[in-house]
Amino acid sequence: MRWLLSFLLLGLLSVVHAVSSSGSKLLVVLEELADKTKYSKYLADLESRGFKTTIESPKAEKIALFELGERAYDHVLLLPAKSKGLGPNLTPKLLLDFINAGGNILLTLDSSHPTPSALVSLLLELDIHLPTDRNALVVDHFNFDTLSAAEKHDVVLVPRPDALRPDVKNFFKGAGEDGEIIAFPRGVGQTLGNTSPLLTPILRAPRTAYSYNPKDDVEGVDDPFAVGTQLSLITTLQARNSARFTVIGAAEMLEDAWFDAKVKRSVGLGGVGSGAKQVKTANQAFVKEVTGWTFNEIGVLKVGKIEHYLNEDGVKSNVTNPKIYRVKNDVTYNIELSEYSWDHWVPFTPPTGDVVQLEFSMLSPFHRLPLKVASTTKTSTIYTASFKLPDQHGIFNFKVNYKRPFLSNIEEKNTVTVRHFAHDEWPRSWVISGAWPWIAGIGATVTGWVAFVALWLWSKPVPLKLTTSGKKIQ
Amino acid sequence: MSDIIEEPFFKGSTGRNTRGVLRLTILCLIAAAAIASRLFSVIRFESIIHEFDPWFNFRATKYLVQHGFYDFWDWFDDRTWHPLGRVTGGTLYPGLMVTSGVIYHALRALTIPVDIRNICVLLAPGFSGLTAYATYLFTNEMTTSPSAGLLAAAFMGIAPGYISRSVAGSYDNEAIAIFLLVFTFFLWIKALKVGSVFWGAWCALFYGYMVSAWGGYVFITNLIPLHVFVLVLMGRFSPRVYVAYCTWFAIGTLASMQIPFVGFLPIRSSEHMSALGIFGLLQLVGFVEFVRAGVPSRQFKTLVTGFVVAVVLIAFAALVLLTVSGVIAPWTGRFYSLWDTGYAKIHIPIIASVSEHQPTAWPAYFFDLNLLIWLFPAGVYLCFLKLNDEQVFIVVYSILASYFSGVMVRLMLTLTPIVCVSAAMALSYLLDTYLTIKSPPEPTDAQILDAANNSSSKKAGKQDGIRSTREPLVGIYTTFSKTTVVSAMTAYLLIFVLHCTWVTSNAYSSPSVVLASRMPDGSQHIIDDYREAYQWLRQNTPEDAKIMSWWDYGYQIGGMADRPTLVDNNTWNNTHIATVGKAMSSREEVSYPIMRQHEVDYVLVVFGGLLGYSGDDINKFLWMVRIAEGIWPDEVKERDFFTDRGEYRVDDGATETMKNSLMYKMSYYNYNSLFPAGQAQDRVRGVKLPEVGPTLNTVEEAFTSENWIIRIYKVKDLDNVGRDHASAASFDRGNKKKKTTKKRGPKVLRVE
Amino acid sequence: MHFLKGLVLILLPAAAIAAKRAAVDKFQQFHSKALSSTPLKLDDSIYGQLTSAPRDYSVAVLLTALESRFGCQLCREFQPEWDLLSKSWTKGDKKGESRLIFGTLDFTDGKNTFQSLGLQTAPVLLLFQPTHGPHAVADSAPVRYDFTNGPQSAEQVHSWVARHLHDRPHPEIHRPINWVRVIAFTTTILGTLTFLSVAGPYLLPIIQNRNLWAGVSLIAILLFTSGHMFNHIRKVPYVAGDGRGGVSYFAGGFSNQYGLETQIVAAMYGLLSFATISLALKIPRIADPRTQQLAVIIWGAVIFVMYSFLLSVFRIKNGGYPFWLPPFS
Repeated sequence: MRWLLSFLLLGLLSVVHAVSSSGSKLLVVLEELADKTKYSKYLADLESRGFKTTIESPKAEKIALFELGERAYDHVLLLPAKSKGLGPNLTPKLLLDFINAGGNILLTLDSSHPTPSALVSLLLELDIHLPTDRNALVVDHFNFDTLSAAEKHDVVLVPRPDALRPDVKNFFKGAGEDGEIIAFPRGVGQTLGNTSPLLTPILRAPRTAYSYNPKDDVEGVDDPFAVGTQLSLITTLQARNSARFTVIGAAEMLEDAWFDAKVKRSVGLGGVGSGAKQVKTANQAFVKEVTGWTFNEIGVLKVGKIEHYLNEDGVKSNVTNPKIYRVKNDVTYNIELSEYSWDHWVPFTPPTGDVVQLEFSMLSPFHRLPLKVASTTKTSTIYTASFKLPDQHGIFNFKVNYKRPFLSNIEEKNTVTVRHFAHDEWPRSWVISGAWPWIAGIGATVTGWVAFVALWLWSKPVPLKLTTSGKKIQ
Repeated sequence: MSDIIEEPFFKGSTGRNTRGVLRLTILCLIAAAAIASRLFSVIRFESIIHEFDPWFNFRATKYLVQHGFYDFWDWFDDRTWHPLGRVTGGTLYPGLMVTSGVIYHALRALTIPVDIRNICVLLAPGFSGLTAYATYLFTNEMTTSPSAGLLAAAFMGIAPGYISRSVAGSYDNEAIAIFLLVFTFFLWIKALKVGSVFWGAWCALFYGYMVSAWGGYVFITNLIPLHVFVLVLMGRFSPRVYVAYCTWFAIGTLASMQIPFVGFLPIRSSEHMSALGIFGLLQLVGFVEFVRAGVPSRQFKTLVTGFVVAVVLIAFAALVLLTVSGVIAPWTGRFYSLWDTGYAKIHIPIIASVSEHQPTAWPAYFFDLNLLIWLFPAGVYLCFLKLNDEQVFIVVYSILASYFSGVMVRLMLTLTPIVCVSAAMALSYLLDTYLTIKSPPEPTDAQILDAANNSSSKKAGKQDGIRSTREPLVGIYTTFSKTTVVSAMTAYLLIFVLHCTWVTSNAYSSPSVVLASRMPDGSQHIIDDYREAYQWLRQNTPEDAKIMSWWDYGYQIGGMADRPTLVDNNTWNNTHIATVGKAMSSREEVSYPIMRQHEVDYVLVVFGGLLGYSGDDINKFLWMVRIAEGIWPDEVKERDFFTDRGEYRVDDGATETMKNSLMYKMSYYNYNSLFPAGQAQDRVRGVKLPEVGPTLNTVEEAFTSENWIIRIYKVKDLDNVGRDHASAASFDRGNKKKKTTKKRGPKVLRVE
Repeated sequence: MHFLKGLVLILLPAAAIAAKRAAVDKFQQFHSKALSSTPLKLDDSIYGQLTSAPRDYSVAVLLTALESRFGCQLCREFQPEWDLLSKSWTKGDKKGESRLIFGTLDFTDGKNTFQSLGLQTAPVLLLFQPTHGPHAVADSAPVRYDFTNGPQSAEQVHSWVARHLHDRPHPEIHRPINWVRVIAFTTTILGTLTFLSVAGPYLLPIIQNRNLWAGVSLIAILLFTSGHMFNHIRKVPYVAGDGRGGVSYFAGGFSNQYGLETQIVAAMYGLLSFATISLALKIPRIADPRTQQLAVIIWGAVIFVMYSFLLSVFRIKNGGYPFWLPPFS
């Protein structure tokens, strides 16, 4: 019986083999378990993708992000809490440490009750700002759902987001056909500080949206917290260690209700969508992508083998990754990159208009070269670059520094020493045509000396001959 | 003067042999004494390499012994001057390392396995013995008095001026260079006297060895030509001079050019131009002499002389022209600062900052050469008695060397040999006169009279002779005067020996790596912070962790901790040193990017405040500032480190720039925690420190040695979530960021 | 009422223009003054209006104290350099493209300015950057050049000024050739040559005299070995008074000394070696035994006493030096 069960389990496991690239232990923080039902579909999705979820209340004693100094979970999903605090186990410091330790956090906000102060200060540390008045929400009088929010205009309907920049991968376009609409009900908009390069918005509010506080019912808001596209609905932060942190402005997006709700957009600016018919929201697919990205299921890059070797006039030397080169050597550098998509590694190709670059640098880059695709394996692409080392000795780095929004960071540094010419690596004197006069001079001197000595030795003085008469004659 | 010396009590060939044996034993004893007196440091402390440069020499020697000669020759050292690296094989004087390497392998061949470290430690004392012998030979060339040589050797063996750079463990170039210096001079004199190519060649070869061993070879390069020049001026030109000099110059220059570090300097730099010029001059003079011998007519001679003068002038003009146009490198800073003594302080602070480049006060002379210093002039005077070529050499050498030693303390080293020699000559002359049994007979009045007459008549004749030797020599009459003088001299010599021993044991025998201090109860207490810290680095940091410190400690870190350093005592790249100086003397926000760019992992500072160790970085700090200011006059200003009243302070009155400089912060970080509140004391500067200590954001304390002499800091990485270090640190300290409620000014829009 | 308003309205632009012109003129007038005599001799009022914001030009003002009663050596040394710099700059830039005015404010004319700036020391060189116009900089506070390391040459200051006034012409410094010196030099050379040629035969024996050379070289050696170069480099005082009004001949401390001290030491060395020489050379040549005996005793005594004195002096310099000879201990 027991073994049968275990077999079943095994079967189940083998079915749900798909899992995030960085572990599957997921902590869902939910204040009262009753709400679990609201998110049943979403959680079911996660389970089906192989996450082992643990659902805890923030108040629970045994909830702990770390045990014995190690991360207890790989990912944390924070569903909105009614209480103001999150308890001693989820202080901003702990959450930050969790990120620094490489854990991913998906944070959901809700306008119905104010965000806990712990989270607010955490967001502040990350340079994400929430509306000052606690229960402000995003309204839009042009893109709202006529069915559910005909009066309040607080269910904002937005199309699938376009790529952040043309040269950035877009993971959130789904199948790509347009007309898909995402409902963003009663959400809290955020603004991002513009100093931090790590912040990127996934979903931004329409031009006509603004953040509005229903408590103060005055005609027309003067100086709203933020308006239009400055208002980010879903924000991500990818830390330097590629840990991911996502804020979803509206927790309701995850609820079953909105997964299969039908919405009908209002008449927008210039009468767009006047003839809109009601459609099913794309929330489920979209949220899956957002969650998948946050929990390292997509957009994760991996560096495989890195090798650099001497490549003098096309002859590949068989020592790879030597510690030392000589100036003006020809070298080749290879790096193997693969990208994780949902459940397996695939070869990585940069988006169009973007290239992976190799720097050869000491204090400042001496070379910055584009890496070309050398070959592709089943799971990875091998990029390569060949170049001649600069005429400067020193301690250099082969550096690949590829950091793009929504792609995990690649910063690879291989240090090599570039030495000067050794005393016997210079061309010999007789090879240099300029030296010939001097060589000739040496030869001339030597021969001249020898000749002189010879002359000196063999020219013996003429003896004086004496004649009988005793007179000297030459 | 040999005629006045009584043939001492041995007679005949047996006497000669016995005297020979006696000399040999005496010389051996002298050598033994020389070696023994240099072993204090080993006995006191241990067999350890001393202060700074020796550590590099030691490291290089180990490299040589491990990798063989050719690898050493082409050595590119990637563990110093990160990230530039150093072409070490081409920028050092290999003589020292090669010497000890040869000794090492020789001992191996004799199946006497000796650790290379011991060879390095004991090399200097060993060579001091040889130096004593070389001095003996040199002096014997100078005088015929048999005792002078032995005295000179003895002086040379124990003179503190030489011991200061050659105690066991100070494994520096000077260790062998002084021997080579003296021996080269001996060979030069020999060649000059004999006028033979053979000796000239030997002289040149040893000169080449000297060049390979020490930068001070320039002294020889200039002294020998000067000597020859003076001889020519005195009309003492002779074929001997010609042969000796030309041989030496030709072979010596070629030999010196074989050293990569010297390379083409002998024909490109002004230091060597004098030798070249004299070479040319000799050719001319030789030619003229030849012609003069052959040609009778006076006009022609005058013509030739005029021609010579013209050529000399033209050559000089050409030299000046070339120097100005830059074909010939002008004098290097160190050399230039010897002449224009104010030069270094203004133009090259890095040279002025070195302590051994300071001028010498008189106590240093007396300290280093006790009574020799006043016997020295007497000896020089004696040289004027019989002014041959070699005596001229002594005179020239004495004047030049005493000038140089006055300008730079370290050049006391080149003065010492000649002081020993001439002092020995004076003393031996004295003793030869007073240490004879035989006394002249009491003269009768008649004799006195005609002696007077003789002298008066002589006065007319010996006008040129030296004044004090006009009277005929008589000798000493009474034994009393002999005994008094001799005993007095003996007393002085005894004091001299005591003095030398005292100086050696007290001043020159501490390896500044290990500091010794006296406990209240008089027992010796060893302060070993340096090695403690270096050991920590060696064992707790990755193999290639880059250490940033002031350049003084570069060699030690490289040698003891075996970690890459940014700058070290081979100060060849002023800009790189200035970079470190800037990093040390700027605010953290400025320093951090510099340290990132240079991939610094750890920063090491020396802080003597707790122990009262005055040689610490805060005292050297101003040099860092000056050197940095030389490169970035707008970013680092020495003025900002002085208060308005022009004081250099570290207490409450310190300027903001001072308090915010990285060096100050790293020195005094957490220092208050040792004391009750507000009682923090700096025992070097002798001041009370501010109430609150500095805070550090971009680096974190990694290690502090037992007496806080060495403090090591780890450079933090960039913040993981992209905050600046200050706010990250404040968050870790637990204070929350203020929520910016009201945005003042226009909203800054974020654009992707 | 309306009329008034209208008047004001009419006047306003005029006033504005006037103010503008004044601002423009300010540089022009100062520059024209400078052309006639630079650096401008300032007093408090001129200084005030010269450096008052708004200004669209740069001002370099040297605050100095030339009068001898202030005893500012540095000021007097630097003044000619300063004049040279400003003259050659203004000469090289007649049209005023660099928009730089040089001024000198002496303490006697500008006490208030000195007080307002809170200056205790002189000279101080201030460079005021323009507050508006093409080369305007953010902070209107003047840049300060400090004379910490000694008197500066005009070139050094020129490079400093040029560093701060980039992207505009920097007229070079033209040092006038000092004809007097040249002439004096040549005449001396010629004079010496003629003198030598005339007096050669008389000088030759003196030059070839061995005693002379011996004396010269001995003196040189004694000078150097008694630390004369140290005095020369460190510029030590000749003597210094001890606390109690007397004169202290020997500086405390191992590595510092006074001028007189070195001379005393040199004299001691000289005496000692002279005594040695006479013991070695003279005395054996004294024919009369009694005189010789006496001489031996005298010279021996001299050496003994001198040496003991030398040791005692050294003990002053270096405390803890254990050796000594009677009578000085």
